Amino acid sequence: MNAVWIVFSKEMREILRDRRTLIAIGFAALATPIVLFVISQVSTRTASQSYTVGYTGEIPAGLNILFSSTGLNLVKVDDPAAAAKQQVDIGIAFTASGVDEYYDPTRQSAQIADVRLQTILSRYDAAKIAAALQQKGVDPSVLNPLPVTVHPLSSPAKAASNSFLSFFLPYILITMSLTGGLSAALDTSAGERERKTLESLLLTPAPRSHVLIGKILAVTAISLTAALAAIISMLVALSQLNFGGSRNGTLSVSLSPLAAVVMVWLAVLLAASFSCLTIALGTLARNFRQGQAYATPLYFITIFPASIILFIPDFNPNVGYYLIPILNAVLVLRDAIIHDAVAWGSLAVTTASLALTGGLCFYAALRLFTREALLVRS
Amino acid sequence: MTGTAVTVDRLEKTLGPNKVLRGISFEAHSGEIFGLLGPNGAGKTTTLRVICTLLAPDAGSVEVLGFDTRVAPREVRGRVGVVTAEIGVYPRLTARENIAYFAELSGVVDGALNRRVDTVLERLDMREFANQRAESLSSGQKQKVAIARAIVHDPPVLMFDEPTSNLDVLASREIREFMVEAKGRGKCVIFSTHVLHDAERLCDRVTILHQGRVVASGTTVEVRGGYQELEDSFLSLLETAR
Repeated sequence: MNAVWIVFSKEMREILRDRRTLIAIGFAALATPIVLFVISQVSTRTASQSYTVGYTGEIPAGLNILFSSTGLNLVKVDDPAAAAKQQVDIGIAFTASGVDEYYDPTRQSAQIADVRLQTILSRYDAAKIAAALQQKGVDPSVLNPLPVTVHPLSSPAKAASNSFLSFFLPYILITMSLTGGLSAALDTSAGERERKTLESLLLTPAPRSHVLIGKILAVTAISLTAALAAIISMLVALSQLNFGGSRNGTLSVSLSPLAAVVMVWLAVLLAASFSCLTIALGTLARNFRQGQAYATPLYFITIFPASIILFIPDFNPNVGYYLIPILNAVLVLRDAIIHDAVAWGSLAVTTASLALTGGLCFYAALRLFTREALLVRS
Repeated sequence: MTGTAVTVDRLEKTLGPNKVLRGISFEAHSGEIFGLLGPNGAGKTTTLRVICTLLAPDAGSVEVLGFDTRVAPREVRGRVGVVTAEIGVYPRLTARENIAYFAELSGVVDGALNRRVDTVLERLDMREFANQRAESLSSGQKQKVAIARAIVHDPPVLMFDEPTSNLDVLASREIREFMVEAKGRGKCVIFSTHVLHDAERLCDRVTILHQGRVVASGTTVEVRGGYQELEDSFLSLLETAR
C-alpha cells in the first residue's frame, strides 16, 4: 500500500479519536449559529425596544400618536435637561417657538431615541405644512418640485444580506481553515516529537516526503471539514433567524451556486496551505505547546483581510492585490457573493498565488522534516 | 557465527560544535549479540543512528548486509529494526494498530499483515492487551509494543539502544531473553548499553567507545583480559584513554 495512504489513514484514525480536534470541529459548527442567535436577539430587541421621553409644556395635537407608534413613551418631568442625564432617554421642552431637545450622546439609548424623535418631528412638520397648504388651496406637491422615484437594480434586502455575507463568510472560512486543523497539525508534527514516536517513524523505509504528504492530507481534510461545517451551519442559522434591524424584518440570506463553488475551491486551497504552514511550524517546535506559540501570530492574518472588506466596503483593488495570499481569497469570495459573478482572471491569479504559497510552505515543511536536526534537537 | 551483517569503517560524525565520532570501525555478525559499550556521551547512540540511516556519515562508511547507508538508505531501513529507551507509542491507537502501522510502512503487504502482526503479538505474549489503546498500557507493555513494531517486518539486523534503562526488573529480563532468542534465530543483534553486567552476560563480542573513539574491541573474554569483571577492565581502559 502506498505510504501516503497508510499515513493518511492512520492520522485520520488518530485525529478522529482526539477530543481536542472533535471539539474544534464541534465548536466550528456551533459557535457561529450561537453568535448569530445572540445578534438576532439583540437586534430584534433593539428594534422593538421602547424609549422614554421626558417632556415639559403642551404636546402639539396629534404628535402624541406618532410618539406612541414609534415606541417613544412620553413622561412629564420638571426639568427635561436634568432628566435626560439619567431618569429618561431624552428630554424635550415644547415651547411657543418650537421644541428644545436634551440628550446625552454618550448613551446609546439616547442616540436611538434621538433618531426616532427627529424622524417623527420631520414627518409631523411635513404633514402640518401639507395640511396648511391644502387649506389655502395650494397643492402640497409644490414643496417637492423634483420628486425622485428610486429604481433599485437589485433587491435592497438581498444587497444587505450579501453585504453581511461578504464580510462574515470569508472571515469564517479563513478562521476555520486555520483553527479547525491546527490542533491536528501540531499533534502530528510537534506531538510526534513530544511523544518520542518520530524516530521510529523515520526508521521505516517509507520516503519522508510520502509520510509528510499523508500528514498534510489528513490535516487538510480536517481543516476543510471544520470550515465547511462552520459555513453550512452559519447559512442554516441565517435562514432561520430573524434580524429585527433589517428593512423587511428578516434578513434573507442565501448563497448562489456560483459563490458556493468558489467558496469550496478557496476552502480547499486555504486548508491545504494552512496545513503545510502549521505542520512546518509544528516540525520546527520541540513540543505541542511551543508549536501553539509559533502558530499564534497566524490568527492575526485571518482577521486582517476580512476587516478590509468591513471597513472599506467599496475597495476595488487592481490585479496586484490578488497576488496577496488570504486577502485574494477574501476579495474573490466577496465578488462572488455581492455580484454573483467571478472575474476568472482574478480567480486564476488567486489560485496561482495560494498554490504557490502552499507549495512554498510544503517545501519548508519537507526541508524541516528531512534534516538531521529534526532528531538531534529532540 | 555466520557472515558480516554490519560494517562500520572509519566513521566520523560531527553534531553542531561536537565531533562525536572520530573514525570508529567495527563489524557485527549475524547470529551474535554485539555489544556497543561506553559511558554516556561516548557516541553509541550516534553510531546506531548512522547505521540505521537517521544520520549521514561525515566521513567513513557504513554497510548493512552489503548496502551502503548513503547509497541505499531505504534498503538499509527495511533490514534493520531499532528498539530504544524511548517507548513512545501512538496513544490513541491500540497496541495492534501501532504495530500494524509500522508493518505497513515497512512494506509488509496486505495479505501478510494480519498474520505477521498476530505472530509478533503471540511471540511477545501481547494477546491480552493487543486491542487496548496504548495510552492505557503500562511501561512494560509499551516497551513490548516498541519491540513489536521494530521486529514486525522480520529484519535481519536488530539494534537495541539502552533498551532497559526505563524498565523494571521483569520487563528488563524479558528484553534480555528476547535478544538471546533473536540471536538464536540468526539475527545480528547490536546491543548498546552502559550496563556492563548485562553486556557481559549477553554479548559475544563488544566494542568499547570513549569520546568517539574505539578503545577496545574483541570477544567479551578478550576485552575483560585479566580482570574478574568486564566493569574493571572497562574502567581501566577509560583511565588509560584519558
